[in-house]
Amino acid sequence: MDVPLISNQEVWLNIALIKQYHENMPGVQAEDTVLKALQRLDLVRIAYKRNPALSDEERFCAMLLRAAMVGDASIIIDRPFKIMPHLKNVNYIFQSLEKIEDLYSSCHIYDYEWMAEKYGALCP
Amino acid sequence: METIGRLTLQETRSFAEIFSLAGKVLYRVFQPDTYNSATRTVLINQIYFTSVQILPAFITVSIIFGSLLIGIVFQLLKNLGLTAFFGNVLIGLIVTELSPFFTVLLITLRSSSAINTEMAVMTVNKEIKTMEAFRVNVINYLLVPRIINGVISIVLLSALFSIVLMGSGILFSRVIFGMSVDVYLNILLNSANFSDIVIALLKCAAFGFFITLIPIHFGLKATHELTSIPIVVSRGMVSVFAAILIIEVLSLITKIL
Repeated sequence: MDVPLISNQEVWLNIALIKQYHENMPGVQAEDTVLKALQRLDLVRIAYKRNPALSDEERFCAMLLRAAMVGDASIIIDRPFKIMPHLKNVNYIFQSLEKIEDLYSSCHIYDYEWMAEKYGALCP
Repeated sequence: METIGRLTLQETRSFAEIFSLAGKVLYRVFQPDTYNSATRTVLINQIYFTSVQILPAFITVSIIFGSLLIGIVFQLLKNLGLTAFFGNVLIGLIVTELSPFFTVLLITLRSSSAINTEMAVMTVNKEIKTMEAFRVNVINYLLVPRIINGVISIVLLSALFSIVLMGSGILFSRVIFGMSVDVYLNILLNSANFSDIVIALLKCAAFGFFITLIPIHFGLKATHELTSIPIVVSRGMVSVFAAILIIEVLSLITKIL
C-alpha cells in the first residue's frame, strides 16, 4: 500500500502530523521532536522542504520517521527498493533503522523473491 | 429524454451528496475534539494563505473598483435627481449586496479553484488514503479548517471592502454633492438597517461555507488518473458559481419577505 508524504506540506509537518493529531502535541513541541529525530538521520536540512524536492533516500527517511511517530510503532516497509531503486543493497535501510531503533517496537520488510540478492545473507 | 433524466438524477445525487457532506462538516465544526494541534496548524495556515496573503492585492482592487463604482453611482444619482436616496443606495445596494458579491467572486477565483485542484491532486496522489492509513480524519483535518477559514475570510474581507467603499464615498460625496463628512456619516447611519446587515453577514457566511465545501467535494471525487483533475475542477467551479447565484437569489428573497 502506498502511503506517500502529503505534497503540499513540509517534511516536518508530515512527520509531526501523527503527534499533533493523535496526541494533540503543541506545534512547537512537535517541530522540536521532529527536528531531533531528523538530526539522528543527519537530515535536518530537509525539515522545511516539500516532497517533490526530496531525493529518494530523503523521502524514504521522512516516511520512516513518520511511521515511527505512531505510538508503539510496528513499521512495515513494503518494497523499499521501489522507493530507492538505485540502492544496491539493504545497508542504507538498516543503518537508518538502527539510528532510530528506540522509536519503534518492531519492523518488517516485505519484498519480492527476485529481490533476494539485495538483502544478502538475510535471505538464505 | 433519457439524457435529461440521467442528468437530473446525476445533479440531484450530487446536490444530496453536497448537503450530506455539509451536515457532517457542521457536526464536526461544533465538536471540541476536532480542534487538535494538527487541525489548528492547518487553520492558521489557511487563514494566512486566504485572508492575509491576499490583502495587498485585495485592498488595491477594492480601492480602484470601489472608487469607480461609488463615483459612477453617485454621479448617476445626481443626474437622476435621486440624491435623497443616496444613503439607501450606498447601504442597501453597495454595502449589503455588491461588497459580498465582489468579495466572493475574488476569493472564488483565487482560493476555490486552488482548493479544488489541491484536493484533486491529493486524491490522485493517494495522499487522502495516507491520512486514512494513519487514522487521520479527513473531515477534521482537511475540511473543517478550510471551511472555517472560508467563512471567516469572506465575512472579514467583505467588511473590509465595504469600509473601503464607504471611505471612497466620503471623497466622492464631497466632490459630487458637496457634502461634509458629518452629514455623510449621519446619512449612512440613518440608512443602515439592522436586519439587512444581519442578512448580509449570513450571506457572507453561506458564501464562505459553500465556496470551500463544493470544491473540496468535487476534488475528492477525482479518480487515481491525472486526467480526472481538470474534469473535477471544472465541475467544481461551475457548481461553485451556481451556488453563489442561488445564495444571492435566496438572500434577495429573504430581504423582500
